Amino acid sequence: MELGITILVTVLQIAAVLGVVLTHVAYLTYAERKILSDMQDRLGPMEVGPHGLLQPLADGLKLFFKEDIIPAGANKIIFSAAPILVLVPALIGFAVVPFGRDSLQIGAIEITPYITDINIGLLYILAFSSLGAYGILLGGWASNSKYSLLGGLRSAAQVISYELPLGLALVGPILLSESLSLTDMTVAQGGGIWRWFIVSQPVAFVIYMICAIAETNRLPFDLPEAESELVAGFFTEYSGMRFSFFFLAEYANMILVSCIAVVAFLGGWQAPLPALEFIPPIVWFLAKVYFLLFFYIWLRATVPRLRFDQLMAFGWKVMLPIALVNVLLTSIVKYFLNQWAEK
Amino acid sequence: MTGKELFKKAVFYEILQGLGLTFKHMLFGKTMTEQYPREKPSLPDGWRGAIVQLRYDDGSEKCVGCALCEAACPSHCITVESAEREDMPQKRYSKRYTLDMTRCVFCGFCVQACPVTALASSKEYELATTDKRELIMEMDDLLKLGDKYFPIREKRPQYTEDRFNFFKQNKASGFPVAHVPVVNVPIAKKGAA
Repeated sequence: MELGITILVTVLQIAAVLGVVLTHVAYLTYAERKILSDMQDRLGPMEVGPHGLLQPLADGLKLFFKEDIIPAGANKIIFSAAPILVLVPALIGFAVVPFGRDSLQIGAIEITPYITDINIGLLYILAFSSLGAYGILLGGWASNSKYSLLGGLRSAAQVISYELPLGLALVGPILLSESLSLTDMTVAQGGGIWRWFIVSQPVAFVIYMICAIAETNRLPFDLPEAESELVAGFFTEYSGMRFSFFFLAEYANMILVSCIAVVAFLGGWQAPLPALEFIPPIVWFLAKVYFLLFFYIWLRATVPRLRFDQLMAFGWKVMLPIALVNVLLTSIVKYFLNQWAEK
Repeated sequence: MTGKELFKKAVFYEILQGLGLTFKHMLFGKTMTEQYPREKPSLPDGWRGAIVQLRYDDGSEKCVGCALCEAACPSHCITVESAEREDMPQKRYSKRYTLDMTRCVFCGFCVQACPVTALASSKEYELATTDKRELIMEMDDLLKLGDKYFPIREKRPQYTEDRFNFFKQNKASGFPVAHVPVVNVPIAKKGAA
């Protein structure tokens, strides 16, 4: 009986988180189009609903009713599996993200502000996010098209190159909080803006942000889907719902990496000042995530796309050494701090 | 590389500048978009839109059926069939005036050619239609468009009135016929010389 209730609550929690994330994904596309057009002195979507507010709905319906085409030369099984292989890792990471501080107590049932708090949360997210690259690579290969294949290859190269500095940048917060659990990490940053890891790890934060943009194939690192060279990159041959899966995955990944950035560097749901703690933690969390998402779009409107060799050189020759040095320095400082604390 | 340059590179100075510019445009940028069907553009006065026919202030059409517009038209889209008016002999009008808007190039030569300024370029530019035949415009259509775009009409010249009165007075009694003296000129025969 008790197990049944636990399972039911967990399933409902998963459904709620999934619903919220997918709604955010839908309106993130809208926000992106609106912010981009504002920055380019345009209006953006205006036709569906007031100020185009129902545009994501219309887009979704359109994609849903579109014909699902599998190219004649494609490998059908892998072609069908690839979008799912991309979307699932993007959504699965939200399982460990702590959205708020307080659990909701209804009778004997405790509803936590996260689906689960496993003690290797960050490792889990990193592992799954690199799984997403397989979907892109396989989708590009299975399409049997040169543009898709090139897009997939580029994506694989890019994700592998930027996975390393991304992981190394997160080592800083892990060392400081002495935990891989996202909840512990957030708690370790409590007490004010000066306790946030962005203050003690600014270099790691910048590296993380750059790598996160590269990981999610966003501008200025959107070479896998560079439309001026590769039509649409790895999803050139995709249409209808399969295409929308790739799209959902891209935006879900954006939200996920923003969530991790907020947890690891911006104090999660912690208020910036102890005096501001009367505002619910979830509001702080969402505000920070929204700011980072806005930053992503802002950057997209500002910076042009890199050349591929520039991207690779930047990843291996600049990001990786700086990340390594950062890990080294952080470890040394942390070691001596611990020594000092023990005395 | 000086220390200043290194510092600028480390804090992504140029990218920050770019971010500042885009942010400025987001907050203060003037939107260039025109919400077209709901928001019409303001056209300059010299706009050469659809050619229309005009009327005098008493509602009579200006066109005298001279077909100079037909002669001036470079794309041969105007056809004028001219006739004499029943009630006013010597006064001509266009019995049938057709302007094929599908072929019109909006050059305005016909407007320049018209001796009585019966033609004008309007600001009508939304000529899209599902039936191409609607664009082959007869006199009625052209006058209707002219009424829409040129509500202020020119006053009918007085000399025309005088001639009307002249004809009205003399219709019953018969028109005066000018006397032309007949002069017989002998025709020279071939081979007479």
